[in-house]
Amino acid sequence: MNALLLNTLTLYFRREWQLMFRNTGTLVQPLVFFVIIALLFPFSLPVDLDLLEKIGGGVIWVSAVLATLLSLERMFHGDYLDGTLEQLLIHHRYLPLAVLGKVIAHWSATGLLLSLMSPFLCLAFNVPVEQIWVLFIGLMLGTPSLTLLGAIGAALTVTLHRGGVLIAIIILPLYIPVLIFGAGMLSQQVQGLEILSQIYTLAAILVLALTLAPFAIAAALKATIN
Amino acid sequence: MNPVSATWNFLYKTYHRLASPREFYTIAQYTTPVFGVLAFVLLLCGAYLGLFKAPADYQQGDSFRIIYVHVPAAWLSLMVYVTIATAAAIGLIWRMKMAFVVAICSAPLGATFTALALITGSIWGKPIWGTWWTWDARLTSELILLFLYFGVIATYYAFEERKTAEKAMAMLAVVGVVIVPIIHYSVEWWSSLHQGATVFAEGGPRMPADMLTPLILMIFGFMFFYGYALFIAAQNMVLNNERKSKWVRELVTVNINTTH
Repeated sequence: MNALLLNTLTLYFRREWQLMFRNTGTLVQPLVFFVIIALLFPFSLPVDLDLLEKIGGGVIWVSAVLATLLSLERMFHGDYLDGTLEQLLIHHRYLPLAVLGKVIAHWSATGLLLSLMSPFLCLAFNVPVEQIWVLFIGLMLGTPSLTLLGAIGAALTVTLHRGGVLIAIIILPLYIPVLIFGAGMLSQQVQGLEILSQIYTLAAILVLALTLAPFAIAAALKATIN
Repeated sequence: MNPVSATWNFLYKTYHRLASPREFYTIAQYTTPVFGVLAFVLLLCGAYLGLFKAPADYQQGDSFRIIYVHVPAAWLSLMVYVTIATAAAIGLIWRMKMAFVVAICSAPLGATFTALALITGSIWGKPIWGTWWTWDARLTSELILLFLYFGVIATYYAFEERKTAEKAMAMLAVVGVVIVPIIHYSVEWWSSLHQGATVFAEGGPRMPADMLTPLILMIFGFMFFYGYALFIAAQNMVLNNERKSKWVRELVTVNINTTH
C-alpha cells in the first residue's frame, strides 16, 4: 500500500480515537444502552432460567444491533457541524480511506466494547460457557459489518436535523443477514451442529462490507454535503 | 445503414430525448394511453381466463386462483426494485434528471405491489397452510423488501432540497440492490416452507397451459399497468419539478385558456 494512503487511514483513525477518549461520557453511552436493553428482556418475561438460556444469545444480538444503531447518528454529525467534514471533502486525501479510519475507530469504541462486554451479560442470562465463546466470536465478526453498513446510513442522513429515526428505517433491514448468521450460530451450537459455515459467512460479509462500504460512505457524504 | 447500427442510433436518440424532462413529458403524452389500454385489455383477458376458464387445482380447488394476482404482484415487486436501482445508478453516473424521477415515482408503486403480494399471499396461506403468516423465507424476504421500499421513500422526503434528496435516495437504492440477494439467501437458509418455483422450474413450467396462459397475461398486464402508472406519476413530478421553466408555464396557461 502506498505510504500516503496508509498515512490517511491511520491519521483519521488516531484523530477519531483521541476525540472519543477526551469525551468519555459519549464513549460509554452505547455500552450502557446495550446492557440496559438486554436486561429489560428478563423483566418482560416469565421468571424461567431455561427460557432465558434459550433466548439469551438472540437478545444480546438484538441489543448489540440497537446499541450500534444508537451510536451511528453521532459518527459524522459532530464533524459536519464544526465543518471538519467539509474540509475532509475538499482535502487532497483519499476520502474512502479517511472514512474507513473513522469507521474503524468508531467500531473499536462501540462494537469491540460490546463484544468484550457480552460474556458478562451471558452470565446474567445463564448462557452455558461453551456458547459464550460462540457468541463472542460472532459479535467480533458481525459488529464491524454493522458499523460499516450503518455508516452508509449515517453519511446519507448527516445533514438532517433529526436523522435518527430515518437511519433506523433505512439501516435495520440491511442488518438482517448479519443477525441471521450471528444468532444462527448459537442455535446451531445448541443442536450440536457445525458452526464453521456461519463463521465463514459472517467473515465473508465483513470482507464485502470492508471493501465496498468505504466507497459507498464516501459517495454518500459527497452526495449529501454541498 | 445496417439494421444493428440503425437500431442503436434510434435507441441512443430516444435515450437522449427521454433525458430531457420536456421531451419526456411530450413522449409520455402518447405512451401513457397506449400502456393504459394494453394493461386494461391484458388484465381483463387474464382475469377472465384465469377466473372462469382455467381448471380448478386438484389439491387446492378454486382457492389457487388468487395466484393470478399474487404471482404478478410478487414478480413486479422485485422487478420494480431492480428498475429503481438501475434508474438510480443511471442518475448517479450520468447525472440524468429523468432517471431520478423514474426511480422515485416507482418506489410507491413497488411498495404497493409488495404489499399486495404480502396480503394476497396471506389470504392464500390461511386455507392452504392454515395460517395467515409464517416465518418462511420468501414471506420474510418480501416483508424486508417492503421495508427497503419504505426506506427509499422516507429518504427522498426527508430532504428539503430536491437534488440532495434525489442523490441520497439513489445511493440507498443502489446499496439496497447489492444487499437484496444476500438478504434473500440468508433468509432462505434460515427457513423455508413456501412452495418451490413453478414457472421458471428446471425442465419447463410445472403447470398446464390453460392455467399458465392467464398467469402470463396477468404478469404482462401488471407490467403495462406499472408503466402506465409510472408515466402518469412521472409526468406530474416533472411538471412540479420544472414549474419555474417556460414550457411548463406555457403548457399550464394554454390548458387554462382552453378549459375556460
